[in-house]
Amino acid sequence: MKLKLNSIIAACSILLSACLLHAQDSTFTNSIGMEFKLIQPGSFVMGSFQPPYPKPPDDTVKAGAHPGGERGYSAAEYKQAEELAKKDALPGFTVNIKKPFYIGKFEVTQAQWKKVMGANPSVFQGDKVPDDAADHPVESVTWEDAKQFINKLNGMEKGKTYRLPSEFEWEYAARAGATSDIPWAQIRKTAQIGTRTTNKVGQKQPNAWGLYDMLGNVWEWVQDYYNEKIFADPTPAKTGKVHVLKGASFVGDVKNATYKTHAAGPGNGWDIGFRVVMEATK
Amino acid sequence: MLIRIFVIILLISAALPSGAQDSIPKGFTPLFNGKDLSGWHISRTSHQGTTPDCRAENGMIVVKEHPYGQGGILLSNKKYKSFELYVEVKVDSFCNSGIFLRSTESGQAYQIELAEPGGTGALLGEMLRVSKGAEATERMKVWKPNDWNSFRIRMTGDTPHITLRINGVQMWDVTEPVNDFIAGATEGMIGLQAHWSATYEPNVAEFDMSGSWRPGGAQRFRHIAIKELK
Repeated sequence: MKLKLNSIIAACSILLSACLLHAQDSTFTNSIGMEFKLIQPGSFVMGSFQPPYPKPPDDTVKAGAHPGGERGYSAAEYKQAEELAKKDALPGFTVNIKKPFYIGKFEVTQAQWKKVMGANPSVFQGDKVPDDAADHPVESVTWEDAKQFINKLNGMEKGKTYRLPSEFEWEYAARAGATSDIPWAQIRKTAQIGTRTTNKVGQKQPNAWGLYDMLGNVWEWVQDYYNEKIFADPTPAKTGKVHVLKGASFVGDVKNATYKTHAAGPGNGWDIGFRVVMEATK
Repeated sequence: MLIRIFVIILLISAALPSGAQDSIPKGFTPLFNGKDLSGWHISRTSHQGTTPDCRAENGMIVVKEHPYGQGGILLSNKKYKSFELYVEVKVDSFCNSGIFLRSTESGQAYQIELAEPGGTGALLGEMLRVSKGAEATERMKVWKPNDWNSFRIRMTGDTPHITLRINGVQMWDVTEPVNDFIAGATEGMIGLQAHWSATYEPNVAEFDMSGSWRPGGAQRFRHIAIKELK
């Protein structure tokens, strides 16, 4: 009897370690082919706002000429720019991501959406795209639609917990360790911006943690309510009228396809999609 | 006394340049009640910014950047397809702005540029590749610098046909070869823009955008009205 109990305990611990090991795999692919990357805990500073402001050109100042001629700004206006930029600056706040989580390596595609939901609401399919729309991100989905997809996916995949990322998780994953906002040259390498349709997922360079299209292609819904401010608050809003969108879309540009942009619904519809988080431990 | 006032009014009316107006034309419906921003909302997905300072002030809509360097777009709640839009604008120098036509929620639109000195009255696209643009080359003949100027814009058709009159004088008449909207929209919102002029952080931009909006600058709009056409 004792032996039997020991065996059971041993079997259980093997099973448990296997589960833990499995949960900590750096990648995971689910039954409908959605690929995920494990994101480890860490921290970053979010919501810092330090807008650059124009300064009078050195040569005009040295020459004693009317500074600001090239922009039409007077000396007083240069001073005002500095004052406004400093007055409006925000130091940001530290976000601690305490638990590991898996996040979609790609935005949810039209093919994946159809496997779970049946019908495909996307505008950019068929003759609206130059290639196979199956691997384009699903769009024209509301926040509620995205939640419905996730509920159905949770029903299909027993033992897994899927959900939308929080805004903190989304930005942490998008930054992939970057402490400052993304330079324009890097945006162009990693983000689908300035195109006439959505694009197949995964065509641009991934970020440092192997995630594709965090910026550009389609805006991505996150769990949080919108606070009607330029950036998120240290404590996410508990109520709101609309939900937060991150990452900008193919209609975006280097101004808003950055880690920081804190936007909100409804948006255009046809450039709004999402990616999914899977809990790392059950 | 009454007669004297009447005579004064007659004299003032006669002094106005022909074709210019300083009130909503007959048959147009106000888009702005002069008191608050009922019927308007701010785009939350514009690359210009999502938190502009838009307010109703002394019968005007005043649009400013907020916070520093972040612009935005004020959009009509209602969408229009074929219409004539009347609006008077006081264009502040070195504040890049525009009147958006058939705008999407993120501000993808045909745009009448407002930029002094510069291309005020030009037909451009905002996040939209416009097939056929236009410039208001004759504008300075009727333009009143640092003052109110009226814009009357007519837009019709599945394939946009757009006409601009400034202070009653036609500047251009353009029929696009195609509808440039990528998702095929044939209607959209009216939008008023404040351009962005600074990124969220230094050292990310490849060029200086600070000339797009004069520090503390504002664009002012009044007598905004629309006539829907069949």
